[in-house]
Amino acid sequence: MRNKIQIKICVGTTCYVMGASDILTIQDELTPSISDRVEVLGIPCFDLCKNSANGKAPFVSVNDIIIDSASLDKVKEYILELTQKL
Amino acid sequence: MKYFIEVDYAQNYKYNQKICGDIFLLSKSENKNRIVFTLSDGLGSGVKANVLANLTATMGQKFVLNNLDVKKSANIIMKTLPVCSERKISYSTFSICDISSEGLVKIIEYDNPEYMFFKNDKLCKVSKKTIPLERKPFGKTEKLYYSEIKMDFGDRLIVFSDGVSQSGMGNASTPLGWRRDHIIKFITDEIKNNSNISASNLCNKITSHANSNDIMEPKDDITSAVVYVRKPRKLMIATGPPIDKAKDKLLKCKVKNFKGKKIISGGTTANILSREYNKKIKINLSNNNMDIPPSSTMEGVDLITEGMLTLSKVANFLEKKIAYKNLPENAAKSFIKHLINSDHVYFLVGTKINEAHQDPNIPFDIGIRRTIIKRIATALENIYLKETYLEYI
Repeated sequence: MRNKIQIKICVGTTCYVMGASDILTIQDELTPSISDRVEVLGIPCFDLCKNSANGKAPFVSVNDIIIDSASLDKVKEYILELTQKL
Repeated sequence: MKYFIEVDYAQNYKYNQKICGDIFLLSKSENKNRIVFTLSDGLGSGVKANVLANLTATMGQKFVLNNLDVKKSANIIMKTLPVCSERKISYSTFSICDISSEGLVKIIEYDNPEYMFFKNDKLCKVSKKTIPLERKPFGKTEKLYYSEIKMDFGDRLIVFSDGVSQSGMGNASTPLGWRRDHIIKFITDEIKNNSNISASNLCNKITSHANSNDIMEPKDDITSAVVYVRKPRKLMIATGPPIDKAKDKLLKCKVKNFKGKKIISGGTTANILSREYNKKIKINLSNNNMDIPPSSTMEGVDLITEGMLTLSKVANFLEKKIAYKNLPENAAKSFIKHLINSDHVYFLVGTKINEAHQDPNIPFDIGIRRTIIKRIATALENIYLKETYLEYI
């Protein structure tokens, strides 16, 4: 049984206003075969937005790889690529 | 100040009336050491009754809040305000109550049903002094009743207008109205059922029951008010990281040692405490109201929310006095539920500034934490009569 792909979405203040609220619907946006392989979690804060060297909010991690300036499309694309490799 | 004194009232207008002839005014003295309330029932109904009751109640409140003795205030009211030439009674009744933070209560009553004093579920006898007042033009002597009581934990004082005691009059089950002895039984049973019943719940139950005695068409304005003395229910709101990391342990200690309910508001703050407590945070994604971020849970605290957006919503809802049942289902509603059910609210505010909040790319102004907390504290004090304490870390 494969481990589920873990998506962590930061729901802190900056990430939320910069687009995390849209990304929270991601499980509904994936096809059922992919959606079943994915687990979506919220986290209160990645502590990344305070340092511009980390990139821009919103921040999402997929299997602990951080994606900055995340968007629903960007994260979906990343997951599709990942599922093709795994 | 060891007691928390909760005072609340509930009203139902006379059927088909758009304005109430009963007036209940409630306020705290300037130095916050006293609570004063006045219940007035205007003669008749509608606008005239409302104006007369308002006049009477306002005078009562102003005099007593400005340290005039309740007896002297009553005297002035009786001599100043008009009297119905036909019925030879004042155009408005009054019960004025002056409660100190130590639980010492002075009450003067004129023409309202007499108040009830309960120690837990037992009604207590109170000795009252009768103050006669002659109404020379009418050859009549009015009676005012003055009494003093000392309230302690678990004690309740209940006042109501005759719309309560006379509710149901003329109906088969209550031909002579609800009547005092049945009201006493009702209240006793409610307290036996729930020994911690709040002033708010109890006065709503009394008014509701009177309303149903009148089969939802009150024959008179119905008002009941309850004073309840209890140990304060405490709530701590920890929001914002401390000014420097060295104080993270201090934040943890203050939160851990606090005896009461705890809300953590802010992702960074929650992370600090999660690390210090060594407990995981679980975010509740099931109820996703898109307006503000979802709430979370962690062992050892009662609620975790995001910071600034949630706090702004809470401030707005409190200031606009939006009824709890009309709030949207989100983290701010959970936050407000805790606020409403607390008496003393302690704000532990971290003063580290998050520069990311000032990013010009953010589409609106997130605001400054201290300012929003001050708004919440002010609303809680002035509108909801809570006591608030602010500490910066």
